[in-house]
Amino acid sequence: MAAKVRKFEDELKDLESIVNQIDAGELSLEDSIAAFERGVALVKSLNQKLDEVERKVELLTRSAAGVLETEPFEPAADDKPRETKDNGDPPF
Amino acid sequence: MEERLDLQLAGGRARALSVTALVRMVRETLEANLGDFWVVGEISNARLAPSNHFYFTLKDDRAAINVVMFHRAFQHVRFKPEDGMEVIVRGRVSVFEARGALQLYAEEIEPRGVGALQIAFDQLKKRLAAEGLFDQARKRPLPFLPRTIGIVTARHGAGLRDILTVLLGRFPNLHAIVRPAKVQGEGAASDIADAIADLNRDGRAEVLIVGRGGGSLEDLWAFNEEKVARAIFRSAIPVISAVGHEIDYTIADFVADARAPTPTAAAQMAVPSRAELKERVAAAGAALAAGVRREVSGARETLDDLAGRLRRPDGRLREMRLRAGRLALALAHAMRARGRGDALAAAHLRDRLIASGAASLAARRHHLAELAARLDSLSPLKVLERGYAAVINSRDGRAVLDAARVEVGDELDIRVKRGRLRARTIAREV
Repeated sequence: MAAKVRKFEDELKDLESIVNQIDAGELSLEDSIAAFERGVALVKSLNQKLDEVERKVELLTRSAAGVLETEPFEPAADDKPRETKDNGDPPF
Repeated sequence: MEERLDLQLAGGRARALSVTALVRMVRETLEANLGDFWVVGEISNARLAPSNHFYFTLKDDRAAINVVMFHRAFQHVRFKPEDGMEVIVRGRVSVFEARGALQLYAEEIEPRGVGALQIAFDQLKKRLAAEGLFDQARKRPLPFLPRTIGIVTARHGAGLRDILTVLLGRFPNLHAIVRPAKVQGEGAASDIADAIADLNRDGRAEVLIVGRGGGSLEDLWAFNEEKVARAIFRSAIPVISAVGHEIDYTIADFVADARAPTPTAAAQMAVPSRAELKERVAAAGAALAAGVRREVSGARETLDDLAGRLRRPDGRLREMRLRAGRLALALAHAMRARGRGDALAAAHLRDRLIASGAASLAARRHHLAELAARLDSLSPLKVLERGYAAVINSRDGRAVLDAARVEVGDELDIRVKRGRLRARTIAREV
């Protein structure tokens, strides 16, 4: 697990089990201080994971040459159909 | 039906039949000569009786016949037959004797055209299932917290609006990539399949939502086509199918890693609620801090307790070191007194003795540490954790094991898991 970024759900599980261990009084003082430090690091990492992604909605299109292109897409402003290069699907 | 029916109608007035006999004869003749068959026509005058039997007229441009479908058969019909619908009906012809009415008693009814699609659907489903495209073991778990979500649906459909609304509502800082596709009509299946492939080539999305809002069976048909099924199967990114048709499954639903009944449900499946997760992390963080504060104050008590008990062996150690030093000196002294005058030897000896005293000190110290560890493991706090209490007689400072050793009026010191209580003995039973 060294190089790979740990998954959010694994970290969350770890954090919750640390809290349970400390709550159950199963750990020695040294262990619970170490667990606390690990827990604090997990809280930080989890919050980071929840904050790191930037809000972005993109439209992916493919040119005739088969090249993929992305452009920003603003869903709210886009409710009215515009110049349609698509197929005029009825709005369901 | 070329052969002439022998109804013996030429019997003359004297042998006139009753109406009942006539109608029965017609009925029996029909039933004997016409078995089950399929008939094609258009529905008119459709009505569901309170008895839940379904009545309609089946007609084409030259003829019509009354049809009755009893509840027993009608309850299995999966669509709503309506006036003007072209249908294909299986049944037998008979006569309703009370009115002498010719009727078709229907057992099955299918919309025409879709019947053929249905057959195609069943055949494809069977073939792909045999190939393992629907295997449960193949289905991949959806990522818990995908950073990027790919969406394949109609550019201007309500489906896309619903998906984005829910996605961004649950996870405001989300990255979504929309690959618009034609979702019905000519070429729709190819476009959907290409879109899935494009998002795989792009490679950023960690989960795909592929679908559209609700529609008729024909509208949804692209999602029943082999091209789409194969594209979903080939996708390296897990796929959630989201075809807005709560009741019926499409082939895409069977192949997808997860099936949502609507685009909205697919979006809920794709991302967790960020606010909920934030709350969960914050709650765990708070519990962590509270737990450690509790732990530290508990440990401090234990330490105080241990320190109190350790004073005595510590004193003994000091005593022993003094004794070793004294002995060494005495010995050196004695040796000098014996007249050998070998001061060097005496000093050497003394050094050795002091060294051995130090060694014994180190051993003692080690033992002490062991003792401390054992004390910790035997700590009454561990017992107190489970709800027992320790009772100390304040008069002699000893634990109370025998009520007989406590006098009425004695002050008792009661230790519980957290804190102490001071109590006075009111009565005693021995």
